[in-house]
Amino acid sequence: MKRFPIVLAGAVSALAAVVGLHSRTAAGHAISVGPANAGSANGSAGTTQATSPPTTNPSPSTTNPSPSTTNPPPPTTAPATAVARTSTGPVEQYGYGELSVRVTVTGNKITHLAVPTLQTAEQYSQQLAAQVIPMLTSEVLKAQSINIYGISGATYTAEAYVTSLQSALKNLHFS
Amino acid sequence: MVHDETVMGTVTSFTVFQGALSPGEVEAAVDAACAELHRLDDIFSTWQDESPMSRLRRGDLALAEVPSEISDVLALCRAAKTATAGWFDPWSMPGGVDPTGLVKGWAVESAAEVLRRAGAPSAMINAGGDITAFGAPAPGQKWTIGIRHPWRVDALARVLEIVSAVATSGTYERGEHLVDPFTAEHASAVASATVTGPDLALADAFATALAVAGEIGLDFVREAVGYDAYLILLDGTEVSTDGISFALPKTSDGRGGDGSGRSA
Repeated sequence: MKRFPIVLAGAVSALAAVVGLHSRTAAGHAISVGPANAGSANGSAGTTQATSPPTTNPSPSTTNPSPSTTNPPPPTTAPATAVARTSTGPVEQYGYGELSVRVTVTGNKITHLAVPTLQTAEQYSQQLAAQVIPMLTSEVLKAQSINIYGISGATYTAEAYVTSLQSALKNLHFS
Repeated sequence: MVHDETVMGTVTSFTVFQGALSPGEVEAAVDAACAELHRLDDIFSTWQDESPMSRLRRGDLALAEVPSEISDVLALCRAAKTATAGWFDPWSMPGGVDPTGLVKGWAVESAAEVLRRAGAPSAMINAGGDITAFGAPAPGQKWTIGIRHPWRVDALARVLEIVSAVATSGTYERGEHLVDPFTAEHASAVASATVTGPDLALADAFATALAVAGEIGLDFVREAVGYDAYLILLDGTEVSTDGISFALPKTSDGRGGDGSGRSA
């Protein structure tokens, strides 16, 4: 099976939002990422953290050209004493590609999520890039509005995401 | 009992009602069902270079040298190819014969059979969105299954009532498996294709075929006894065969399909 090392910024925002749907049943963690209305797959990866300000990079870059006088103030949502800790989960295969999740925890909150590794089928990336997103004609049903026993529809990516994320959180002894 | 198992490149969730079984017996049954999934994954995985399926694809092994499960599945693939008028064709995949579009459903049915034999009165197995169930979740009730919305991750398109299996193939997350067997090009005719029926392996194959064939594929689903289909076309239009049972009445007009068989 062919694999292509293509990084999909668009896919990342969609994936992060999937976790919101998934976390109710899968993980006990309250993962507050992903705008619920992520109907568009065209957002950039950065938009997945829209609700939390980017934390300072925990691994200082040696090529940083300027002294840190321009550092942004620490995020006001996190306790002043909280230290940001980052871990990257293992690369998970999801049937038609693979991905890994990097998580940053500040205090007892997940403050940053990223997908540093994402490989997928070339065709899929082309589809995403070209995708025009129409709406269904029927009324959209919210998952929580009716008693259901399961959801049908491939969720490989979401599950690989959750698995990698859970491992990364375990690395940080975050529960 | 609810249990999640990571296998076959996805997460498989078990929901098992214990009936007259003891908790220990239910746990043992789920363990055995999981072991069956791992056993079959080790045989069929195209991600494991040394799996019998991979070695067969490479030509390292002949069909007579691989486990008999592979022959069984390939026979089922041939039947599915016929039943879908060639739209499901594991032999047209790049890299050699690839039964992936059917084998997960087949493996999950095998795991369900393990639960059934262990005496579980009702259970549901959800393997990454491909679902099979038996019994009833509660007396007189059917299993209600949400169909993932093709363009919104936080929503469902529909809720279906099912008796046994349901599979959905979409173009929203996967692409490579959707190959038009007649042109050998990647193709997709619909945003989402859902098939219900007695057996998940065939439902899986039908859904894969419909995702490529589109609306004209409804004809071969109608010919298969016990199987029904629900399609969301690329423009959001919905069509379905008569036997699909929606758990909620459709509120907007649209094309409910050819008498979309909504449940009262």
